[in-house]
Amino acid sequence: MAAKLDFESLVACYYKPLYQFAYSLTRTESDACDLTQQTFYVWATKGHQLRDQSKVKTWLFTTLHRQFLEIRRRQTRFPHHELSDVEDELPVISPQLASQLDSMQVVRALGRVDEIYQAPVALFYLQDCAYKDIADILGVPLGTVKSRISRGLAQLRKLLADDLSPESNTGTAKS
Amino acid sequence: MNTQSARKILLLYRPGTADANEPEFAEALDFARQDENLHRWFGEHCATQEVIRSRFKLIPVPEALREQIISERPWQPLIVSKREVFALAGFVAAVVLVCFALLWSRPPSPVNTGDNLAAFQSRMVSTVLRAYPAMDLVTSDLNQIRAFLTEHSAHGDYVLPAGLGQVAATGCATISWHGKQVSMICFKSGRPLAPGQTSDVWLFVTDRSSLSDAPAGDQPQIASFNRVTTACWTRGDKTYVLAAEGNEEFLRNYF
Repeated sequence: MAAKLDFESLVACYYKPLYQFAYSLTRTESDACDLTQQTFYVWATKGHQLRDQSKVKTWLFTTLHRQFLEIRRRQTRFPHHELSDVEDELPVISPQLASQLDSMQVVRALGRVDEIYQAPVALFYLQDCAYKDIADILGVPLGTVKSRISRGLAQLRKLLADDLSPESNTGTAKS
Repeated sequence: MNTQSARKILLLYRPGTADANEPEFAEALDFARQDENLHRWFGEHCATQEVIRSRFKLIPVPEALREQIISERPWQPLIVSKREVFALAGFVAAVVLVCFALLWSRPPSPVNTGDNLAAFQSRMVSTVLRAYPAMDLVTSDLNQIRAFLTEHSAHGDYVLPAGLGQVAATGCATISWHGKQVSMICFKSGRPLAPGQTSDVWLFVTDRSSLSDAPAGDQPQIASFNRVTTACWTRGDKTYVLAAEGNEEFLRNYF
């Protein structure tokens, strides 16, 4: 998006992916709407300070994520696992099994992933941007992004596998 | 690279994105093509990832959100780039230069510096007509008047016309004219005065050099301004203007 965008064109381009990202983080429609609106509000008041117009997309996602963190700031220290520790535990989910899932199940599962991994995983699935851009959005080093996505994917797949297991269908699933 | 490290890298691979261009992924992809088990695992992994990814992208978005964002848009500051600012500044400078050039190239108009006799007389007449001039000193003593004017850097060494010496003075004042002091001596002719009026004849004295077209001699030049008649003459280094309400004949009585 190299050229300057007027406000309405910008909204048309990005409000859907921004909302989906926000919903992945909040799992509440009203909160996601608020975050998306707030992001465009910030753009309308401060967006002109962005010199490199090609960074609009990254700027918007960065802003939304910061807004989310401000709202949900908490002091909890997240458990730290090396990827090798969790990789062995990765359950296998076949494409056929995965296709039984709907969007809300996936988002609910993401909500049970450690919070520090939620945004990286959401961006991993929702956006086609490079890992470098994801790192810029989240404000962390590239290596940290990759490790967080790996851990987050592992947790998510385990949760989805649990949801898809026969026991889950008999009412023992976590929610 | 071995199977385990390749698998670890490919866990983060997203088909259909620019990931394939990254050297790390490219190397792992090459390795997977040569490892049958890894290749099979990778194919299934990608298919599963694609399903999950599609679920994320199917998150429903409220229909009214777009309109709501646009309708609640705050005031957006005007975005002006440095280039646009410089262009605008250049345009303004050009307009100013053109205006100056046009003004400069206009044929010169008659010089009117405001220091001519007509302007001086007009200014003095307007002074006496403005609810009668306020006097700095109220006295009938001509010596006091001379002393006061001299003390205030005005002209105290004036020479009165012969007829005016017989008229009662009422006071004096100083007036600034083009940065120079003008003496105003007030007289009462003896005619009936309006309520509050204390004088009806006024003599103004200024430097001859302060007027570009001062009369050359002491023969009075008569002029009329509204209801006031003036007589102007030069004596020595001073130019005099005698003003009074009335006609020329009335004024000539003082010479």
